[in-house]
Amino acid sequence: MQLALRDRFSLLVQREVGRLLGPVWIPAAAAFMRWRHGWRIVDAGAARREFARLRREPQAPLLVCANHLTMVDSFLIAIALGSPWWYVSHFSALPWNTPERDNFSRTWWLRVATYVMKCIPVERGGDRREVGRTLERFIYMLGRGDVGLIFPEGGRSRSGRIDPEAATYGVGRVVKSLPGCRVLCVYLRGEGQAAYSDAPARGERFHVLFASLEPKTEHAGMRGSLAITRQILARLAALETRWFDARQ
Amino acid sequence: MTEKEAFETVVKILTPHAKNPAALASAKMDTNILDDLKVNSARLVDVVLAFEDAFDIEIADEEVDSVNTVGDCVRLILAKAS
Repeated sequence: MQLALRDRFSLLVQREVGRLLGPVWIPAAAAFMRWRHGWRIVDAGAARREFARLRREPQAPLLVCANHLTMVDSFLIAIALGSPWWYVSHFSALPWNTPERDNFSRTWWLRVATYVMKCIPVERGGDRREVGRTLERFIYMLGRGDVGLIFPEGGRSRSGRIDPEAATYGVGRVVKSLPGCRVLCVYLRGEGQAAYSDAPARGERFHVLFASLEPKTEHAGMRGSLAITRQILARLAALETRWFDARQ
Repeated sequence: MTEKEAFETVVKILTPHAKNPAALASAKMDTNILDDLKVNSARLVDVVLAFEDAFDIEIADEEVDSVNTVGDCVRLILAKAS
């Protein structure tokens, strides 16, 4: 599908507005997370180095896939992969993401925040053409060298654990549309996070595990998309096992 | 394959995923799969894969974007199977 000129233009405008305001909103959002909520990522160093390494290899698009427990995961994961000031000077590394429209359209300031934070809202369960158009917009920005973030389970993990059977085809469709696309699987979880919630508890300390892969499939169509999503979910499930094993 | 045969098979495939059995029982070509039958959008992939197996066709990701109603499924399947 060829993305309409109007869509391409609006995405590039959104990106530039976010970038120009980045020196204000990125440190402010990180400070809000750190000082207002006390959230801290305690072992981000290795993940940030791997992310920076993958970013230095510009030959193919990069997609981040992660587990999903709260509505602020996108920002927490971004901070786990790069410092606020690094994103100010490497704005293309700040991942695009596709939050549920209903969750972030209630107030004007949430709409502004999601706009500058490189969000392309999607109405889950909405008109399939509109969902497809959202995915095409997301793919377009990754094809231009920006990073994207998707949750392969399609929503927050209701059981609190990765569910390989919850695989959606969108992630696979993105990967298939971008030849050579690399995937950085990120497992982020707070020490006190037992289940999904709207937001983590105050003072939560997060740990991050990661693994990179380049999913492949011999199948075409949706079967291929599903196979790719399942490979990613299997890797995330392995990271989850490591996370829990380390805490026994 | 006739439109009626395709319709009946589509409804049969949708049956385990539909959370509104009343709407399923009275399903027509313009019945919306997500809104009327209350099929979980995340499970649409299972439905499409079942279509592929049942009709021996291959459906591209982009083609799923045009599927909202039972009739959309029937028309897509008939176009692919012909």
